[in-house]
Amino acid sequence: MTEKIKHSRFFLWFIQVLRVCGRELLLTFRDQGVVIFFLLLNAVYPVLYALIYNPEVVRNEPVVVVDDNRTAMSRDLVRRMDATQEVAIVGYAANMQEAQEAMHRKACYGILYVPRDFAQSVGRHEQGHVSLYCDMSVMMRYKAMFTALTNVTQAMGSERLAAIVEPVLNMSGSIIESRQVPVGNQAMGIASAVLLFILPLVLQQSMILGIAMLHGGSIERRRRNGGRDPLAIEAGVAATVIGKTMSHLIIYVIPVIYVLYYVPLMFDFPQYGNFLHVACMAVPFLIAVSLMGQTLQAFVNERESVFLLFVFSSVVFVFLTGASWPRYLMSRLWYVVGDCVPATWMSNGYVLIQSNGATLHQVSHHYWMMWLQVPVMYILAYLVERYVNRRRYRSWIAASEDNPRALTRIDLAKNGVG
Amino acid sequence: MIAKYIGRSFKRGCIQLVRRPMYFLLIIILPILCCWFLMDLIKGGSVQRVPVGIVDLDNSIISRQVSRTLNGFQQVNICHRYSNFAEARDAVQRGEVMGFFLIPEFLEEEALGGRQPVVSYYVNYAYYAPASMQYKGFKTMSLLTNGAIVQTALRTVGLPNETIAATLQPYQTHVHMPGNPFINYNYYLNATFVPCFLSLFILLVTAFSLGMELKSGLSRQWLKTSGNSMFLALVGKLVPQTVLFTAVGWFIQWMMFRCYDFPLNCNPWNMLSAMFLLVVANQSFAVLMFCFVPNFRYGTMLCTLLGMVSFSFAGFSLPQEAMYPWVEALGFVMPIKYYFLIMVDQALNGIDLYYSRFYYAALLGFTILPMFLSWHLKRDCLNPVYVP
Repeated sequence: MTEKIKHSRFFLWFIQVLRVCGRELLLTFRDQGVVIFFLLLNAVYPVLYALIYNPEVVRNEPVVVVDDNRTAMSRDLVRRMDATQEVAIVGYAANMQEAQEAMHRKACYGILYVPRDFAQSVGRHEQGHVSLYCDMSVMMRYKAMFTALTNVTQAMGSERLAAIVEPVLNMSGSIIESRQVPVGNQAMGIASAVLLFILPLVLQQSMILGIAMLHGGSIERRRRNGGRDPLAIEAGVAATVIGKTMSHLIIYVIPVIYVLYYVPLMFDFPQYGNFLHVACMAVPFLIAVSLMGQTLQAFVNERESVFLLFVFSSVVFVFLTGASWPRYLMSRLWYVVGDCVPATWMSNGYVLIQSNGATLHQVSHHYWMMWLQVPVMYILAYLVERYVNRRRYRSWIAASEDNPRALTRIDLAKNGVG
Repeated sequence: MIAKYIGRSFKRGCIQLVRRPMYFLLIIILPILCCWFLMDLIKGGSVQRVPVGIVDLDNSIISRQVSRTLNGFQQVNICHRYSNFAEARDAVQRGEVMGFFLIPEFLEEEALGGRQPVVSYYVNYAYYAPASMQYKGFKTMSLLTNGAIVQTALRTVGLPNETIAATLQPYQTHVHMPGNPFINYNYYLNATFVPCFLSLFILLVTAFSLGMELKSGLSRQWLKTSGNSMFLALVGKLVPQTVLFTAVGWFIQWMMFRCYDFPLNCNPWNMLSAMFLLVVANQSFAVLMFCFVPNFRYGTMLCTLLGMVSFSFAGFSLPQEAMYPWVEALGFVMPIKYYFLIMVDQALNGIDLYYSRFYYAALLGFTILPMFLSWHLKRDCLNPVYVP
């Protein structure tokens, strides 16, 4: 029986898969550049990003006041503005010109203007007007100043309303109370929102870069050795693709746990979900990404061209996940392009699990979409390996049999020699 | 003699550019594609019609009015009605809606009886931009509901309409947003992200083309063509790229300011010159990195790392004064930061050139800096070592 198994075609094929996997692991850990991508990048990048965004919210945005009214009421308004978390009043300016000058010098990012008839209008039962000029270079600044002013004027307004209405109607001004309940990201901060999208993306990009660099190394060895890679295992196309995928999965066990579990823990990002569910999501994600990397490696000719070809795509993918511009507003084209990227599903699913405490069942759509990507990406990776890579190797072998220096010549010509 | 060397070095630089199709892709095609991607993605301008749900436990006239009015707001789009809280929460967890408005039982009864019922709105802040819009919509709605009831009550006691308006909202705020009055996300985000993208490409291409000399071991030959002058060698190599990148940069600016109507409140030359300086400064920055780390891998990696992180620490999304001081300081290391500040001063706010003088000077400074360190690069070009 065992003899039969040992000689069965499947068993032999499986041995090939294992050999490819083992060799890929060996090549990975021998290559410092790849180790940097697979491990160091995952270790450093999430922490770096988290540190940049860690202040989460804007506090004490400097604002200058032009108070033409100078009454108790206007001073009360300014005091209350100063007391908000978002705004700090850094000074009074005599007039708008002076305030503008301060804004141009970046001494402040907003001007609060209280006109001459502010308190008098309110006293006459008319509306008192107050203006805020915001620097619009960064949206969070505007948002902070706007929120502060709205909250302050509303609080002052409802006090005044209560004072007028109570004696007339025998009830306080507010009839229906309202309250906001922030869900998911209770700090309402930018890091807790954006970073969770970025974390799966770091995994995806580092893996693609590493795979492409391994391939670039192999291409260079082939160029030097007349089209043959002495370190590669000669195996079937499917065995090569699957074996490499297996090795990437093995390498990524630790980065996944670190990036998706420990980084949120370190920075206290929302983590309401069960990590088991995240881990389940990560399985199809990693397989799809590994296959995607093996598809994209078709574009790589040198080790270092991976920097040029894939690094910029991180920014594109961040936008496609919907981290800053929501996906439902994207045009059909970009929506579908986003659908094709594993990180889009992983990021959104991960955010729902971690921030909103969703279960795997609730994000099953994301989960199955990634499983759907696996066969598609596998077919693409297979086609690339069979019809792009291997065809190229064969042509190189043929060319170098005619002239052993042919490949080096082409290389030199590209560098402007000859 | 010098002219001969310049000519030879320049010719070599051009040949290298032409013979590698990847340069064409990276200098022209990808920056323009990325630029188009970002602008097309956000062409809508502002976040609107956030999909939300409503849980109406009251089902009275008032509660239905509330949900009808809410749906009329441009900020939110009520796409689902849920019969209870648990269903709505489940929908948020599934990602169907990004928040919901909860109207409690007996709202009408308690409101008319003066017992102050509470409506609550649940906003999913995991999605940052839609959350702020939802908050605006929900907050206005709850104020309006309150106002409508008080207004009716005040009218019954005989107050005139103007007084009622002033009583309900005694303080009116006017928020002015110079440069971007419609809070257009496209203007805000892409005026900075697109040049940052371009500078990432500049860093990468410069680093790659320098590194290739070291890797292929041809750096001695490179120096020889330019009469052993590092300066001439760099000029010959980088000027063809500068020309192409500047052309692409200007094309991108033309797209931004003419096709997509980004705010341009200054003399166009101020921005055009800033773009040219950005290109040169980024090239010099990459050269500088190679002066420090004359090694293909680490030099390129440093450029990549800084280029990628500069999207974050240049202070486009989290403003610089909110950052940790060391992050804020790091931002000033990158040329894109100064371009960003020039853009804000000149194109967005249209203030005097005087206030931006330091930023232009800083970009110039980046260009001059590598000249003092090029001896370091030269030493390594004479003894190239490639570490794979």
